[in-house]
Amino acid sequence: MEGHPWKSPYLSKVFPIGGVAPFAILSSLATAGWVPILPTATIDLLYSLGRMFLAYLVSLAFSLVYGYFAATERAFERVLIPILDILQSVPILGFFPVAIDFFVRYGGGPSSLIGPNLAAIFLVFTSMSWNMAFGVYESLKGLPLEMREATESFCSTGWQRFRRVILPSTVNRLVYNSQLSWTGGWFFLVAAEIIQTSSSTVTLPGIGSFLLVQAHAGHTLALLTGIAVLVVLIVILDIFVWRPLGRWAERYRYDTTPSGESDARSSPSGMATPFRRVAGTMVRTVVTGLRRAQTPFLSITQSVRRRGRGGASRPRTRTIVRYAVEGALLVAAWFVLIAIGVQVYQTLVGNPIPATVVAQIATVPMAMGLSILRVVAAFGISVAISLPLAIYLWRHARAARWGLPLVQIVASVPATALFPLLAVVFVRNVGPEVTSVLVVVTGMIWYLFFNVLSGLRGIPPDLEEAARSFGLGGRRLHRRLTFPATYPAFVTGAITAFGGGWNTLILAEYLQYQNSPPIVQVPGIGELLQLGNLESHATALLVVSLFTLILVVVVINEVVWKPLYRRVVDKYHFD
Amino acid sequence: MLIDVENVVKSFPGRHGTIIIMDGVTFSVRDGEFLSIVGPSGCGKSTLLRLIQGLDKPTSGQIRFRDRPVEAVCQEMAMVFQNFALYPWLTVRENVAFGLEARRWPPERIARQVERYISVTGLVGFEEAYPRELSGGMRQRVGLARALAVEPSVLLMDEPFSALDALTAEGLRDEVLQLWKDPTLPPEAVLLVTHNIEEAITMSDRVVVMSRRPSRVLECVPVDLPRPRDRKHPDFYELMDRVYSLITEGVRSTPLSGSAGVPATADPSPVERRPPS
Repeated sequence: MEGHPWKSPYLSKVFPIGGVAPFAILSSLATAGWVPILPTATIDLLYSLGRMFLAYLVSLAFSLVYGYFAATERAFERVLIPILDILQSVPILGFFPVAIDFFVRYGGGPSSLIGPNLAAIFLVFTSMSWNMAFGVYESLKGLPLEMREATESFCSTGWQRFRRVILPSTVNRLVYNSQLSWTGGWFFLVAAEIIQTSSSTVTLPGIGSFLLVQAHAGHTLALLTGIAVLVVLIVILDIFVWRPLGRWAERYRYDTTPSGESDARSSPSGMATPFRRVAGTMVRTVVTGLRRAQTPFLSITQSVRRRGRGGASRPRTRTIVRYAVEGALLVAAWFVLIAIGVQVYQTLVGNPIPATVVAQIATVPMAMGLSILRVVAAFGISVAISLPLAIYLWRHARAARWGLPLVQIVASVPATALFPLLAVVFVRNVGPEVTSVLVVVTGMIWYLFFNVLSGLRGIPPDLEEAARSFGLGGRRLHRRLTFPATYPAFVTGAITAFGGGWNTLILAEYLQYQNSPPIVQVPGIGELLQLGNLESHATALLVVSLFTLILVVVVINEVVWKPLYRRVVDKYHFD
Repeated sequence: MLIDVENVVKSFPGRHGTIIIMDGVTFSVRDGEFLSIVGPSGCGKSTLLRLIQGLDKPTSGQIRFRDRPVEAVCQEMAMVFQNFALYPWLTVRENVAFGLEARRWPPERIARQVERYISVTGLVGFEEAYPRELSGGMRQRVGLARALAVEPSVLLMDEPFSALDALTAEGLRDEVLQLWKDPTLPPEAVLLVTHNIEEAITMSDRVVVMSRRPSRVLECVPVDLPRPRDRKHPDFYELMDRVYSLITEGVRSTPLSGSAGVPATADPSPVERRPPS
């Protein structure tokens, strides 16, 4: 690695196999004639980048304002933070059809590009803002009391206070959260462009639409090129934007212990704590990978940690059963409500819902059930792949040196960008059902992988030594030490994976280009959601599917994930 | 009187009802005085300092500065904090300039003022350093410079030396005394909150001794010893003893007479009174 003068130091860290891999791939692609498609792909990509950037600017402004008011005014805090909590649990893609409708109608009509552009930017904005707003809020609340007193004592107000106290205190968190936001943002941007292109006659120039168009035409090579260009851009951003930004933000990091001799590394989120102990490039790689995989779904752990600080009692089995029963009852009641609602709507409003749509609405419970099964199946596959992979890369440092960066690059491809490719490749061979499950897997697996890996690395080496010295080896070692030690990380990975899974699912159940027969279609809530958007007079279907999905996700969060996380963090946490 | 604290009561709502921290604290600060406030933990000394500056309001009672009630944060006072309260992302220079910036002084004037107080507090050469690069003693100097730069009439110090090692604290104490004595430099009066009785007697003209919670002023003990204070002088020991027994017994005692305090007024106290020596 060292003796190759033609490689930049950055490149050799990202592609440690002497930078050979990308050139090998590119040269083989070149012989297959990918060059003509490159300009289109790149230009489309630049449009997408522009949208991301705009959405980010709006998110930044929003989160600074929102976080500031939530942190400074008690009255606001009581309202704003719970709202943010709810907003974070909602699968964003579900709202997208509604957003398109709204923006197209008020943004210049179906033939203008403004509406769809605004819709896409809005979607990305909603995916980016919540975690950034929380970051601002928590930074401000985390300011040491004395510092706040000093600010008041010297009568610092207005712009001076904002510039010298408020803004700098959020920089560290914001830079980290911005990276998370961008990762999630790519996912939703591509999804937005895909959905938008399916539904209207106007094609929004962008990488998502590019991929969809190529998928419709069955051009696998072009698809690969598009994905490759996206990956290159993400890596470039990582090297030339995020890393320097991270270094600049160092200045704003501080530890809150009094008269500390030197600054301990204060971690931006609890997840990064294990990394304190591991040095070197591999750490940075895993952290970057983790960042890549974490999106706003991380919020559940944040919100639980926030509330659970007051010593939440451990739910006993009876309480869990109670939760589950209540949740199921709630969902059942919801379905009854739907049935009633549809009837009432039909009789009240003169405009009857077409019988076909009513029939579709009737399939909602079944569709929801199928979708749940799909996500669970995808979860199972993700566990089966990511656990062994993580354990392997954890135990074999040499393999990890090139394996981890490779995984990181693969993980940086948003699942939504992979979808068209997978659809084209797999649908013909294994059918749409398997394809959609596979797509959901791509949207879940990296959360699991990076969280488990970070959990494994967080096992204090002295614990392992102690275990071995007592003669524990092999399976018993895993049972007694490895698994319990990584349990919290696994749960967090599962929570975030499901979050990613729900969003991916919505896209994965239905893929169509304009008026042609759908490339992928399987019965499920995501399919109904998209159909509700695409068909005429099917708004009722859209609304019902969306709220059903939200309800189920929120119920699962409250009944399964939050209690589980609380219990696990109580019992298994290292500190 | 420079500052009048009159019958100040401070209470907080607690989990099991209201917690009364201070119940009728009364004393005054004279012009140019160095006054220490000592007392057991939890008696509200630090809270009292914040009430005096106006960072917080008493539940009842009044605090007056130059005969006017303290309503908002008083700009003629400045505070030095126990854990320095410096902004880690600002350089020494920027930290010292903080209060002046807040008062919207023009930049050139700020620059000159900052330079003056950086040299006064011995920070020359460290202007561009960040707090994390400094030792505890240097950080507190920055805190001191920041407070002095706004030229307050009263310097409020909240256990400023307790986070420092003994040697550094000693050095800084001397410096603070020098600054206070210097008529060309602020402040006029200094209010020092500390749990270190020796420190209080070394530095102050008077020591306000507070009782346990709900606290009130047990006594304002004058320190009439010549400066610089000789810690080995028997009078010094006697004063220390006196203040110490005041705190531990929580009983109002007779004026300094050379014998250990004998209770002059019956004061309910759960602690057994020691027989006179």
